[in-house]
Amino acid sequence: MRTTYLQSQKDRGRRVLAVLPIYFPRPLLTALDVVAAELWGPPGPPRGPAAARVQTYVCAVARNALAFLSSGGADVADGVLFPHTCDSIQGLATIAKDLGGWKKRSFTLLHPKGPSRQSARTYLLAELRGLARELGEWTGRSLEPKRLSEAIELHAEIDSLRAELLTRRARLALSDRALYQLLRRGEFLWPEDHLAELRDARKSLNGQKVQTGVPLMATGYVPEPGSLFEVLEQAGAFIAADDYAAIGRRLPTREVVRHSDPFETLVDGWFALPPCPTRSADHASRLDHLERLLERSGARGVLIHQQKFCEPELFDVPAIRKMLTERKTPLLYLEGELERELSGQAVTRIEAFAEMLSTQGRAA
Amino acid sequence: MIARRLQYELMSHALGPAMVAYQTWSDERRRSRRAAKESPFGPQLECTRKLKELMTRHYLAGRYADGAVPVAWVTSGFPVEFLRALGFFCVYPENHAALCSVQRKSAELSEVVEKEGYSRDLCSYARSDIGCALSLKTPVGRLPKPDLLACCTNICQTVLYWYRALAEHFRVPLVLLDTPFVYGSASPHQIQYVRDQLGEAVETAERISGRKLSGERMQRTAELALEGANLWGQCLEQGRHSPSPWTGFDGFFHMAPIVSLRGSEETNDYYRLLLAELQDRVSRGISGIREERHRLVWDNLPVWFKVRDISTSLAQRGFNLVCTSYTNAWAEAGKRMDPQDPLGSAARVYTHIILNQDLNNRMEVLRRLATEYRADGAILHSDRSCKPYSMGQVDLREKLASELGIKVLLLEADHADPRAYSSEQGETRLAAFMESFA
Ligand code: SF4
Ligand code: SF4
Repeated sequence: MRTTYLQSQKDRGRRVLAVLPIYFPRPLLTALDVVAAELWGPPGPPRGPAAARVQTYVCAVARNALAFLSSGGADVADGVLFPHTCDSIQGLATIAKDLGGWKKRSFTLLHPKGPSRQSARTYLLAELRGLARELGEWTGRSLEPKRLSEAIELHAEIDSLRAELLTRRARLALSDRALYQLLRRGEFLWPEDHLAELRDARKSLNGQKVQTGVPLMATGYVPEPGSLFEVLEQAGAFIAADDYAAIGRRLPTREVVRHSDPFETLVDGWFALPPCPTRSADHASRLDHLERLLERSGARGVLIHQQKFCEPELFDVPAIRKMLTERKTPLLYLEGELERELSGQAVTRIEAFAEMLSTQGRAA
Repeated sequence: MIARRLQYELMSHALGPAMVAYQTWSDERRRSRRAAKESPFGPQLECTRKLKELMTRHYLAGRYADGAVPVAWVTSGFPVEFLRALGFFCVYPENHAALCSVQRKSAELSEVVEKEGYSRDLCSYARSDIGCALSLKTPVGRLPKPDLLACCTNICQTVLYWYRALAEHFRVPLVLLDTPFVYGSASPHQIQYVRDQLGEAVETAERISGRKLSGERMQRTAELALEGANLWGQCLEQGRHSPSPWTGFDGFFHMAPIVSLRGSEETNDYYRLLLAELQDRVSRGISGIREERHRLVWDNLPVWFKVRDISTSLAQRGFNLVCTSYTNAWAEAGKRMDPQDPLGSAARVYTHIILNQDLNNRMEVLRRLATEYRADGAILHSDRSCKPYSMGQVDLREKLASELGIKVLLLEADHADPRAYSSEQGETRLAAFMESFA
């Protein structure tokens, strides 16, 4: 389905760029008529023998991506972009480029780490301009500032609709499964197609609460496997607040300042994103953000949902646990199911967690 | 503060050295009374005693450093020269974690943090170090509390996550030097970014130390760092001789000063001594192992808790580790330091550390080491909890074997956590590898 859609985009004269997680300047791609097709693994067992070229103690996202790229799974793409999210993607980028796995064009985005410092802002500006130049040469298109500004506005509207669906989740007459399927289609749809779907979904927003289950907050990397949502629903819970790196962490937390130079706007947008261990440097702002999400959503429990071997996320888990324990907010920790479906044991733990929360809710 | 400073000076310059000298003397006496055991190694390096003294003195002084002088905890790849010039006492958690592993303390320290929710899959240096911060347990008696944390991502991103946790624990500022990963060579805006951050880091360090960075002191420290890197490089190069006067395993230990004390007179004095001793051994044909029949390259960190066992197994069969990409990294990078432009050159030098460069560069380094040191085999340590150093090794093994026609072993282990290593499997793989040379 993804491949057919992406092929149809190519038939319209657009280029397809496979993009590794997590952060990249979408408007820049849109302005150059490039469709981004994100590669979060893909989930499931590795699709090719090249996974064995990466040790089993590296996350499934990087291993699966190498297998997928090497086996031709992403051949519909004309190029690939490796943002430097973590050591594993950095490693994957150099393996695929230098030692084989991807023969077409590859790009990197060596985004800055740490807080919004002057050095980081200046650097990011230069890095984005450099990427724009390379993509422009590759596509044979020149980047018009006006088009970039329009693309920024288009994506701002998309982000604001996505944020609205998430923050008014309890009033949205969609299952978690359906909502997340919709949100994740944004990982490969041309933005205008995604916008149309989001506008449509917005019609399902009601004046009052329609979700009657136990509200939960989810924090973690990527909501995989999708069956997680059915298990939650059957257990009588729903995701009322989202801090997944793939979803909520890519939506700005404040109004992005518009500059006359659209690249400056992109830089400001970068630093308007919520704290994420793969970008930011301090725990306090991350914990504050999570507490605000909890309070705003009324979530009664937290699902910490991580991928095995994901260092950036795993390092934050103790601080998050501590904060939740101090607030007396129940939490459930789930780890590593990208390559397979939820285990029976994981399902039982989710059910028990939701049941415990709903009993607590009735008693209160 | 004054009393603390006096105590610190006394321990650093008078009492400490005397205590260490006494300790070394009594260790020596005990050793000389023990009957000499049959050993596959050559005579021990005289300098080992000096090394022990130097590092013990450093850790001893550290016990009294906080409250007396500004203290920074720094990652091994951080451009420490300006901190030294500002009078910081620098602690290297990675070096300390290696020490914990050699002394078999890593598992215990890891368990402390695992109870707090840290995953066992995280870097075992980080786990040991955070475990030490939480439990205050350390084989060196006591580590001084930091006033500043200084982290450079040129070795991995892991250090950033690790130091964020330390910053939260100690509630002290964290200066971050974010070094963009290098494909081929770094672009000017990337180097400028590192240079700009250095400027920001200097400001923070000046504020904390209450001093202004003096150009003269900075230049002097950079000169010392450059000289230290050159001396260390020359020590390593002695391994090109056949037989090599020492082993790569010796090198893992003797690199401690260039990592933890670079930019200081005492480090350079030490390496001058070591170099003279190695040159003397070369001239007298003294070998690191008794009978050197095969020469190997090692890639990645050592397996600290198994250095003795692995080195003995190899030496017994005539295999000498003549060079390692890890120890070599400390010689390569530092050589490009320019004392006339200490911060500008630091930006370039510290961005071009082996772990911050692509695998083409890594392959080139291994190829060069194998050729220059005339190695006929290589061991690539696939290090479970160090992903940045280990990713790519599966392909590197194939490339090294096919391009250079040497035998290559991928050895699964961990740099610090013994629970992540199966001795039986490791020994079997090592034995099979050595047999393949027959
Ligand atoms: S380590 Fe984490 S952030 Fe990096 S690729 Fe793997 S899952 Fe993603
Ligand atoms: S051992 Fe590896 S992961 Fe750990 S700090 Fe060193 S380079 Fe980073």
